[in-house]
Amino acid sequence: MIEVQHLTKRYGPFTAVDDVTFRVEAGEILGFLGPNGAGKTTTMRIITGYMPATEGKVIVAGHDVFEAPIEAKKRTGYLPETPPLYPDMTVRDYLTFVARIKGVAGREVRGRVDDVMKRTHVADMASRHCAKLSKGYRQRVGLAQALINNPDVLILDEPTAGLDPKQIIETRQLIKELGGSHTTVLSTHILPEVSQTCHRVVIISKGRVVAVDTPENLTARLRGSETMFLQVAATGGEIEPALAGIPGVTRVAVTPSGDGTLGVEVDSARGHDVRRDLAAAIVGRGWGLLELRPMRMSLEDIFLHLTTDESTVEAQPEPEAVDA
Amino acid sequence: MRNVITLARKELSSYFASPIASIVMGFYALLFGYFFYALLAFFERQSMQMSMGMGPMTMNINQMLIAPLFMNATVIALFVLPMITMRTYSEEKRSGTIELLLTAPLTDVQIILGKFLGAMGLYAAMLAVTLLHMAVLFYYGDPEWRPVATGYLGMLLLGGCFISVGLLISSLTKNQIVAGMVTFAVFLMLWVINWIGSFAGPTAQAVLSHLSIVEHFDDFAKGVIDTNHLVYYVSFIVFGLFLTAKSVDTERWRG
Ligand SMILES: Nc1ncnc2c1ncn2[C@@H]1O[C@H](COP(=O)(O)OP(=O)(O)O)[C@@H](O)[C@H]1O
Ligand SMILES: [Mg+2]
Repeated sequence: MIEVQHLTKRYGPFTAVDDVTFRVEAGEILGFLGPNGAGKTTTMRIITGYMPATEGKVIVAGHDVFEAPIEAKKRTGYLPETPPLYPDMTVRDYLTFVARIKGVAGREVRGRVDDVMKRTHVADMASRHCAKLSKGYRQRVGLAQALINNPDVLILDEPTAGLDPKQIIETRQLIKELGGSHTTVLSTHILPEVSQTCHRVVIISKGRVVAVDTPENLTARLRGSETMFLQVAATGGEIEPALAGIPGVTRVAVTPSGDGTLGVEVDSARGHDVRRDLAAAIVGRGWGLLELRPMRMSLEDIFLHLTTDESTVEAQPEPEAVDA
Repeated sequence: MRNVITLARKELSSYFASPIASIVMGFYALLFGYFFYALLAFFERQSMQMSMGMGPMTMNINQMLIAPLFMNATVIALFVLPMITMRTYSEEKRSGTIELLLTAPLTDVQIILGKFLGAMGLYAAMLAVTLLHMAVLFYYGDPEWRPVATGYLGMLLLGGCFISVGLLISSLTKNQIVAGMVTFAVFLMLWVINWIGSFAGPTAQAVLSHLSIVEHFDDFAKGVIDTNHLVYYVSFIVFGLFLTAKSVDTERWRG
């Protein structure tokens, strides 16, 4: 449904997004995870047609965003980092305006507005001015605005940033509900967010994609295990069962290297130091242990910059109020 | 076209939702009323003298009152139009609503025309108030209607030029106060450019006075629609809007 191909964006000499490629299947919720300044907003702005890319291509629902922007934009709903509300409009007037500019047919506008207000639970604020809405309601009206044209594709930039924990849970629930009928990309710098909402995660750091995986695999790789790399002089076949039997070992992957030795990756549960047992098992069988070292995943570095603890969310400074 | 109208209506209703509309309309009505009263008093004195056989043979209300009134009204426009245009783009950029407009299935031209027509709508509403003053003249006097109509046409065209410049300047900054001040400064420059011309050589003077916005207004106030002036104003507006489109597009690349 969304195809991002070799996307690069430079601001002057600075490369904010560097050769980013990924795709999102229909109905999928994709998490776009990365620390602040990673290039999430920039990528999303390019997908939504807000700004052109320096290089690369984006296809949304079969339409090239740069060559057929109007067609692509008709099928996209976008919630920017700050909800784009007009302070002096009421919620209903605002959503009516957005429906019109998004190309909703005149006679359907009213029905669509009522529908999205119901789905995002803002109906009780229909005649309130946007300037007078709380942060949580602003976010929901922002979401309502993104849904107004019943888009194929939903792009949500940090939809839970600045909300209180209760609002965060509600918003995530809402996004999950929407997931079935829309292809969704949501960005976040909070690790648990993706495991709770997304089917798949793209991790981006310094403008580059560093991993694409399911949240389960990523969390397992991060939390549950440590990985050792071993180089062993042995014949294949026997080594895998021999090492997998050691208590604490969760995974053994053997790849023959060209020089007749074997490269072995061993995952173990965190807290179990299996190095002695590994060495003993190998040497005890008469194989040659040529190398044994912990593998430091590059991912870990990135995760260190991610917020893993949800309670710190509130400590984030709130973006300045839109207008009074 | 539907999109342009939707956008223009949004602009117009946002003027009326904020104090801007009442301030500019009040300010305009007040100053226009003052000039109207002053010129009317002057005109009456003149007619009085004439009826006593001391003045010129005929008193033309169009020449003596309405034309100068229009000239004065253009000066008021110079002051109030920056207040109308200063927020058009700046405020959308500052608050982030520009992201909504630029990611909606709209073309830049539709957005610009919507903003232009919205501002023109408010300006036309300001002018509409002055129709009351004119009605007084038609009720008590016997002016020709033609110079009045062309005068209003000229006012709209001249306002259109200012508004297109105002949109351009507003598209260049996030800060609406800066936009307003720069716009006023540029208007003033466009205004006095022919005075500067009078100090320069004759060729320079011809060129500069051709560039001067107000120079082209004279004939409209006198009831003449000269194609030259019409072409000047329309191309000025189109060029201003074209530069605005360029500026919006450049901003887009810069992010
Ligand atoms: N308009 C811009 N001009 C120059 N640099 C920018 C601009 N927008 C973003 N950047 C830079 O690009 C990088 C990526 O920004 P952004 O996409 O906003 O990251 P994220 O949303 O992941 O926090 C940051 O280093 C930021 O400073
Ligand atoms: Mg961001």
